[in-house]
Amino acid sequence: MRTKHLVIKTAALLAAAGLTLTACGGSSSATGASSAPSKAAESETPVEGGTFTYAEVTPINNWQTQAARFYEKANVLNSVLDRLTYFDVESGKLVGWIASDFSANKSQTEFTFTIRDGVTFSDGTDLDAEAVQKNLDALGLGIKSAQIQPNVDFAAYKSSEIVGKNKVKVTLERPDANFLRATSSVTAGLVSPGTLKLDNAGQTAISKIVGSGPFVFESEKADEEVIFTSRDDYAWAPQSAANQGDAYLEKLVIKYLPEVAHRAGAAQSGQVDLVRGLQPVDEGVLSAGGGQVLAAQGVDLTTNHAAIRIGSGKLDDPKVRQALQVGIDRQALKDTVLSDSYVIAGSILNHQAPGFVDLSAELGYDPEKSKSLLDEAGWSVGADGIREKDGKKLEVTVASSNNSVVIKPAFELIEQQWRQIGVQLVNRAADNSFLTNAMVDDQIEFFGTRQFAYGGLGPVYAPATNNQTLNADKELNALFTREQAATSEDEHLKLVEKEQRELVLDKALTLVLWDEVQVYGANKDAHVDFTSGTAPIFQGAWKING
Amino acid sequence: MGGYIAKRVGQALLVILLAYTAVFLAVQALPNDPVTIFLSADASADPATIAQMKAYYGYDQPQIVQYLDQLGGLLTGDFGYSLSSGSAVSTRIGEVIGSTLTLAGSAFALAILMAVVLTAAASLSRSSRVRNAMLNLPPLMISVPVFWLGLVLLQILAVQLGVMSLFPDGSLLSLAVPIIVLAIHLSAPIAQVLIKSVQEVNRQPFVDVLRAKGASESWIFYRHTLKNAVPSALSIAGITVGTLLAGSVITETVFARAGLGQLVLQAVTVQDIPLVQGLVLLTAATFTAVNLFVDLIHPKLDPRIITAHAGSPRALAA
Repeated sequence: MRTKHLVIKTAALLAAAGLTLTACGGSSSATGASSAPSKAAESETPVEGGTFTYAEVTPINNWQTQAARFYEKANVLNSVLDRLTYFDVESGKLVGWIASDFSANKSQTEFTFTIRDGVTFSDGTDLDAEAVQKNLDALGLGIKSAQIQPNVDFAAYKSSEIVGKNKVKVTLERPDANFLRATSSVTAGLVSPGTLKLDNAGQTAISKIVGSGPFVFESEKADEEVIFTSRDDYAWAPQSAANQGDAYLEKLVIKYLPEVAHRAGAAQSGQVDLVRGLQPVDEGVLSAGGGQVLAAQGVDLTTNHAAIRIGSGKLDDPKVRQALQVGIDRQALKDTVLSDSYVIAGSILNHQAPGFVDLSAELGYDPEKSKSLLDEAGWSVGADGIREKDGKKLEVTVASSNNSVVIKPAFELIEQQWRQIGVQLVNRAADNSFLTNAMVDDQIEFFGTRQFAYGGLGPVYAPATNNQTLNADKELNALFTREQAATSEDEHLKLVEKEQRELVLDKALTLVLWDEVQVYGANKDAHVDFTSGTAPIFQGAWKING
Repeated sequence: MGGYIAKRVGQALLVILLAYTAVFLAVQALPNDPVTIFLSADASADPATIAQMKAYYGYDQPQIVQYLDQLGGLLTGDFGYSLSSGSAVSTRIGEVIGSTLTLAGSAFALAILMAVVLTAAASLSRSSRVRNAMLNLPPLMISVPVFWLGLVLLQILAVQLGVMSLFPDGSLLSLAVPIIVLAIHLSAPIAQVLIKSVQEVNRQPFVDVLRAKGASESWIFYRHTLKNAVPSALSIAGITVGTLLAGSVITETVFARAGLGQLVLQAVTVQDIPLVQGLVLLTAATFTAVNLFVDLIHPKLDPRIITAHAGSPRALAA
């Protein structure tokens, strides 16, 4: 008899489940997007105390500074490790942090940092000029004995020395106008000299890393959670920060929510205060349910784009590349695959990046222009609708990592759009094992990506570090090298502007898609802002009811 | 008997060695070595560091040296280093294996219990409607995808009703729900085979003899039928260990639990090949060990298996 009840219960449960899912689908579409995000803007007085739960998309197992190039790591380490400088999105300026002052020589090869007084690591040791010098060496040269790579933004680093009390001078091998900005990156986070002496496993373990940031490691449960406690004596926030003291929050709990379908519900129900990686389809559900959809703009990054490689010979004519550039209907991309949280790209730099030039007028969808450009380039439509030239079909391939939740569907739509102009796109987006080789293979025409670009395009496109177009155009190399060596702000911006025009329009070496953004879901009571690198600023975060 | 055990253990060891060799060859067939593949996710790998790392982890050695070195390591419990965390593969596995054992072990025990209850109900109930319902339940249970059931239960219990956490918080419900979800899926094939096997045993003449002697149905079922039906269900139970491991990947992801399944997923995503290698081997070894165990207790339940092997006249007669 017991089993009979079980059957009935099971059936009832399944039926209820079906109803519930239908119900929540229905309510979301009925209400549409609410204005919940604006609630966060009308900030009241921050509330002290409380535990803030933040869910990342995947467990973090390598907390070493240079590895923070990945969002899941940078988002948390941002509140654990301080940096020399900080990029203030509002003013668009680099401000002091651990370095109270900083300057560069005229030729952008020497940089002097004045280290703030009274800063200590959480183990009590001083964060002084000596500690900074050791960190700079680790960032610039790597730590061979612990298999730690140099920081890629420090590619020009030669050496550093202590010059006078509290002053450290960095010398570069070659000029780099973007070096200062790179010192604001989480990947340039400062750790205690003791941490730098640990072996690889030690330097990657959050339990052993000692920083000077507003939150200090308390405990962890492997692959499930990490708990941080606010550091009460923290008093060295970035110069532009509203909160100059310790964090309002008492504790910060990091959890992981690998299942994308739960993220909106987790934020809505208050099981987490903030969660990253909200899918475009869940944004409406969350705001309809009273939660907040927060889009953190990736000011530090390039737009999402497809960098072009010309090794296969199919795209070596700029006209073909220009045809592809205007053969993309970006508005349709936003309407079908993305959401209102995403901004259509106006250049290779995002709209808020210093030096951004709006080229959107020339990026409008124009399939007729595409067709005539392709005709001019000698690619004529074949029997199957795909263009051909000298017996070669215009079949091109895109490779990308699976880091972005929208990149694969985006290229699926572009594949359809390009069919209409007679171009066949092979979509290998989000295939990491294919990317491994494709990344350095100039036969694969497109590398779909977004890159950290601190200050200019030189670090991403200059010949020494160009993993984008793989130096498809040697003429441009000189331009990027000149930009990196720019000696005045004016000159730098002018060169950055020229680079954008060349890359996007004249040479069309990159197909720009949308500004980089990370979409977060937040509970209605949570108040949090984000850095220029899209990391939540937990030091300034708070929640109603603690 | 001694010969039988030795033969089975020998076969199991050979299977594990072959699994190791297959995994090793698969890694060699990759376009690059594990260090290069792992670091290439970064898009900015420094060639000098790659070379240094390759030397440190031994990937610059000739293939045969790597093969023997890694094999030697395995024999001493050294699975190499996880590239994504810098710690030993065995450490990473050790951190989370407890969570998976709890989940998988409890789900397995519950699955067996559910299978027996289902079979008893399907065999003993006086109502033919109940018997039919029980017979149709296993196909339903195996058709419901683990992830769907997990998502739906969490949506109702955690998001709508708010009675449980989306995260493993140590509460009874946060442990019980994933166990039940996994057990439902797991018990279906076991129940199916057990029911079938009970039906076959029931058709044998000795059951009629028992009934004629006046034995009650439940006495016949528990003392005679079940005992004779168990060996075939046991073989299936051994094979479901594979389902159990696959189910753990999904259950752990849906319920945000730490564990081997979650670790496999991470290792594959970040292309941490030594970790993948270690996990594949562990899975192969577990699978082999469980099936070895099943093989070894089989003769205890059904002595005919051994005698059939010996080819004795008695076995042939049976």
